[in-house]
Amino acid sequence: MAITFASDEWAKQFKDEVNKSSVYKSAAKGWKWTVGLVVEAEPDKNFPESRGVVMDLFDGEARDIKVGPAADAQKCDFVITAPYSRWKQVATKELDATKGMLQGKLKLKGDLPTIVRYTKASQEMTECTARVPVEWPDES
Amino acid sequence: MHGPSTGRMARRKLDEAGLVQYASSEPSAFAGMLGGLIEANVVADPDKRKDFDALAARVGIWVTDIDEGVTLVFDAGRLTVYNGLEPNRTLTIRAEAETVMSLSNLKIGLFGVPVYFDEVGRGVALKLMRGKLRIDGLLANIATLNRVTRVFSVQ
Repeated sequence: MAITFASDEWAKQFKDEVNKSSVYKSAAKGWKWTVGLVVEAEPDKNFPESRGVVMDLFDGEARDIKVGPAADAQKCDFVITAPYSRWKQVATKELDATKGMLQGKLKLKGDLPTIVRYTKASQEMTECTARVPVEWPDES
Repeated sequence: MHGPSTGRMARRKLDEAGLVQYASSEPSAFAGMLGGLIEANVVADPDKRKDFDALAARVGIWVTDIDEGVTLVFDAGRLTVYNGLEPNRTLTIRAEAETVMSLSNLKIGLFGVPVYFDEVGRGVALKLMRGKLRIDGLLANIATLNRVTRVFSVQ
């Protein structure tokens, strides 16, 4: 059953997908930083308020993934920011996250060498997002 | 949680030292990322700094699946990053975004030569053989390419 994007239930399923992934477990070995995803509001897409996804990731495991205010996500060690419709493109695999960052469609804040070292882990993270069945606010 | 030093901080430091500059007042996202990556690498690693100080070359990088590129003009301890490809390049690397990221993940082995026999290295070598990674000027500039790879690599 599809669940609402950026809801608590979505965060739970996303975390489960990450922890089920052996690819992520191996690629993210040694990762010890928090990651915040800022989903910027697009009221015309029925996404009226910016939201933040705070991911506590440690050594190949998602210890916690929570959805809350954008400000919480902005406090993380790494912050990736994009409008709602861009995140939808990433989650539906219409936009590759690596390409999105190189094109500035996804804005990254954080230590670049570290994030580049974990490219494979971040790609698998995108795959995990895509595996969660989502009901998109602009389609409901 | 251990907070990493941010790319933004590294850039500010290096800007003060005048090591990396952008030719355009509005560098592309790709230019900013590559410049920031090299800055952070050079600041963090004295060996990379030595390579950076010794490097004099004009290196183009064209990302084929986003149709964007940069030219990195290394001038013995200074780097100017241009949006797009500039003329008179020593080397030009053309590859998809994923391959460009793989290049920056090449491990550096004995005598400072990139390692092509581990998983990442084999992937890069295979793409080179299949023509999915093209390096113009490679044969005449292998030592320069190795030095650029060392400066570029996050490993």
